[in-house]
Amino acid sequence: MSEEKKPAAAPAAKPAKAAAPPDPRVVAATALADEIRASIEARHGAGAVEETGAAKTIPMIRIAPDKWRDVVTFLRDSEDHRYDYVELMAGTDYKDYIELVIYLYSMKRDAYITVKTRTPRDAASLPSLTPVFPGVNWEEREVYDLLGVHFEGHPDLRRIMMWDEWKGYPLRKDYSDFDNIPTRGGEPR
Amino acid sequence: MFSWQTQPLTGLNFIGMVIGAVVVLAILLLVVMYLIFFLRKVVAWMQNRIGPNRVGPWGLFQSMADVLKLLLKEDIVPAKADRALFLVAPIIAFVPAFTVLAVIPYTAGHIFTAGLNIGVLFYIALSSITILGIVLGGWASNNKYSLVGGLRSAAQMISYEIPLGMSVLGVVMLAGSLNLTTIVQQQATDRFGWYIIPQIIGFVVFMIAAVAELNQTPFDLPEAESELVAGYFTEYTGFRFAFYMLTEFVYLFAISALATTLFLGGWLGPWLPSWLWFAIKTSAVIFFMFWLRATMPRLRVDKLMGFAWKVLIPVALFNILLTGLLSLLV
Amino acid sequence: METLHSEEMILNIGPQHPSTHGVFRLVVTIDGEQIVAADPVVGYLHRGTEKLAESLQYTQIIPYTDRLDYVAAMLNNYALVHTVEYAMDLEIPERAEYLRVIVMELNRVASHLLFVGAYLLDLGAMSPFLYVFQEREMIVQLFNEICGARLTYNYMRVGGVKWDAPPGWLAKVRDFLPHMREKLKMYDALISGNEIFLSRVRGMGVITQEEAVAYSLSGINLRSTGLRFDLRKKRPYGIYDKFAFDVVVGQNGDCFDRYWCHFLEMEQSLNIVEQALESIPDGPVLGKVPKLIRIPAGEYYTSIEGARGELGVYIVSDGKDKPYRMKLRRPSFVNLQILSKLLIGQNMANMIAILGAVDIVLGEVDA
Repeated sequence: MSEEKKPAAAPAAKPAKAAAPPDPRVVAATALADEIRASIEARHGAGAVEETGAAKTIPMIRIAPDKWRDVVTFLRDSEDHRYDYVELMAGTDYKDYIELVIYLYSMKRDAYITVKTRTPRDAASLPSLTPVFPGVNWEEREVYDLLGVHFEGHPDLRRIMMWDEWKGYPLRKDYSDFDNIPTRGGEPR
Repeated sequence: MFSWQTQPLTGLNFIGMVIGAVVVLAILLLVVMYLIFFLRKVVAWMQNRIGPNRVGPWGLFQSMADVLKLLLKEDIVPAKADRALFLVAPIIAFVPAFTVLAVIPYTAGHIFTAGLNIGVLFYIALSSITILGIVLGGWASNNKYSLVGGLRSAAQMISYEIPLGMSVLGVVMLAGSLNLTTIVQQQATDRFGWYIIPQIIGFVVFMIAAVAELNQTPFDLPEAESELVAGYFTEYTGFRFAFYMLTEFVYLFAISALATTLFLGGWLGPWLPSWLWFAIKTSAVIFFMFWLRATMPRLRVDKLMGFAWKVLIPVALFNILLTGLLSLLV
Repeated sequence: METLHSEEMILNIGPQHPSTHGVFRLVVTIDGEQIVAADPVVGYLHRGTEKLAESLQYTQIIPYTDRLDYVAAMLNNYALVHTVEYAMDLEIPERAEYLRVIVMELNRVASHLLFVGAYLLDLGAMSPFLYVFQEREMIVQLFNEICGARLTYNYMRVGGVKWDAPPGWLAKVRDFLPHMREKLKMYDALISGNEIFLSRVRGMGVITQEEAVAYSLSGINLRSTGLRFDLRKKRPYGIYDKFAFDVVVGQNGDCFDRYWCHFLEMEQSLNIVEQALESIPDGPVLGKVPKLIRIPAGEYYTSIEGARGELGVYIVSDGKDKPYRMKLRRPSFVNLQILSKLLIGQNMANMIAILGAVDIVLGEVDA
């Protein structure tokens, strides 16, 4: 039973081997994340970054949801960072909150970071990144479709995998298959 | 030389004409059926496949089985289609296809040929009517793919009819006649031999335009499968579908026969009987078309029109000019 | 400028249409034959792989990855097991790594061959499709011998591969390489110079470097614009740093470059296979892996250079034997987004040429 609570208790951002003597790669990654944090906070105020760390060996920065689009734009445009390529966008339901993570890559600097943000599960809403990166358009639609995160400012927020009448968000942990029993004439088929 | 036109219209002659027409029709139907078989075998051979080999010895009865199957299929008319036009369109496309065969001289004897004095014009004029059938079929289906296919087809066939007609003009000028029989006879005595030699430019233009007229690869845009599903006959089933297929293959045969007549000396040739020479030459032309079919990708719609108007027509006009000059000077 | 406007028509292409490569639907608004708007509709093949994976053990997920990009299943297998191995810091026996590279690169060749054939089929040439299938058949046959399946291989395991190469298999692959090279030359001679083909793909559907990066394109769609971005070189995974090969890049980012990159990449893949065959060591093919694979809690993302682009697997683990969340970064899905931008202003015939060159597999788009 105690295992059930683990995801909430152990935030996914923690380095993989926290107990062992710290991995030098993790230390380096965390240090880099702190550097970027300083750079972001110099621009967007102290509250913009909520947490730093490493996702395995990749620097990780967690950003306040209201600053999400501004900070990512800053990371894309600032000469020091130039993170101009989104490799991955994924949302995860952590039971207490929904976390959105993007992996950014810099074509120029050949550098690689993870940026994430959190939003409450009920009335999940985040600023859309589509105006910044057109390539996350469908990814955001997928997160909306499967996790129910509403993206403010998305040009075309519709379900993408499931059809419009689908009830619930399949990748949420409290999703039930029984919400969508096909019916024929009002009776379950 | 025997010709039906010089005969008085007696009862016996009339029966003779009817029998001739029926015989031609029957033979042609058989030929067309085996053209399909030939196509499938040739293309299969070029694509390292086997092709039909299950029905009958070497798959010889495959086409017959296909035709039978199509005959037995339900004739579906889409609910939203323009019913009358939908039903009549394949016939409009189909009838001229067989009619044009009346003027083709198959043998030196001409018993099967209406030796019309305007044979070339007759062919070109009648074959244009088929376009109507195709456009109507595409329009009456009430299907967007069919409509686009039908319109493409109309645009393409009208565009390519002009270079086709012009390329024939050179031959007509050399032969001094529009009668296909006379044209063949002239080739026997012409100092350059068959007209493919003095009219090589005309022949090339004719072949390109002919392939386009037939909606064959690389000009098969009206039935571009990857774009338009099946083109103008998407909605057709059963025997009406067979009509369109048949039209296509009859024209394939007819235009190859016309090319043979105009450029390759028709039935002329040593040793072998005249009908065999005709068959050999026509088969060679047909084979060439199938060869193209297995080799080429498809042209793009805008390039297609540009090619007809900017390349083929000027070349055909130049050919007419050249022919005129040559016949004056030489 | 005043122009005459005819009435616009909405044409619904797919989900059942011969050249949408599966169940892909495209709603285009056309004015005459010119496209004024295009709206791709996907999801017809959505099987919820990510959701299913949450209730499966890691080894059990491998067959599901086969069904994503079903023409390059070896690469999908690898993307998953690679992430799990990365998360667990597993040591892989060397022979297994070599076998993986050999099958992956052969699979890349098979996948690219299929692209070349299917693309030409889209453009109306039927023969190339049947020609390339002969060589693809040989590769598929080789796969059949090594893993017992022709399409959905389920060959890789966490920590290695399931089966060692049967006796004589490596020699067969060695014999296949010169044959394949010769055939590639032949196809090149037959197709790449064809005037009709060139006139349809040159300068068509041009993607600029900035667009490609902004749209997160990957694989050949990105490289055709001239960016030298190949994960096998950028972040060498497995043993890819041991092989000498070139990253193929295009110049103009048009459909022809995309086609041509596929062609050249096949040759590079054959080079890699050849080098791998020369130096493949003996030894075990499956490392020491716990019976029940558990990933330490945390999140992990690795990506490999798939046949269609960056193929990544993102796993969130809570320390159990099943992923808490698995997200697949599917290159086809991401690459397809640019389609509606590329199509505007084109005519219907170009639509097919552009869609074909983006090179999607619907199993991957819809996951």
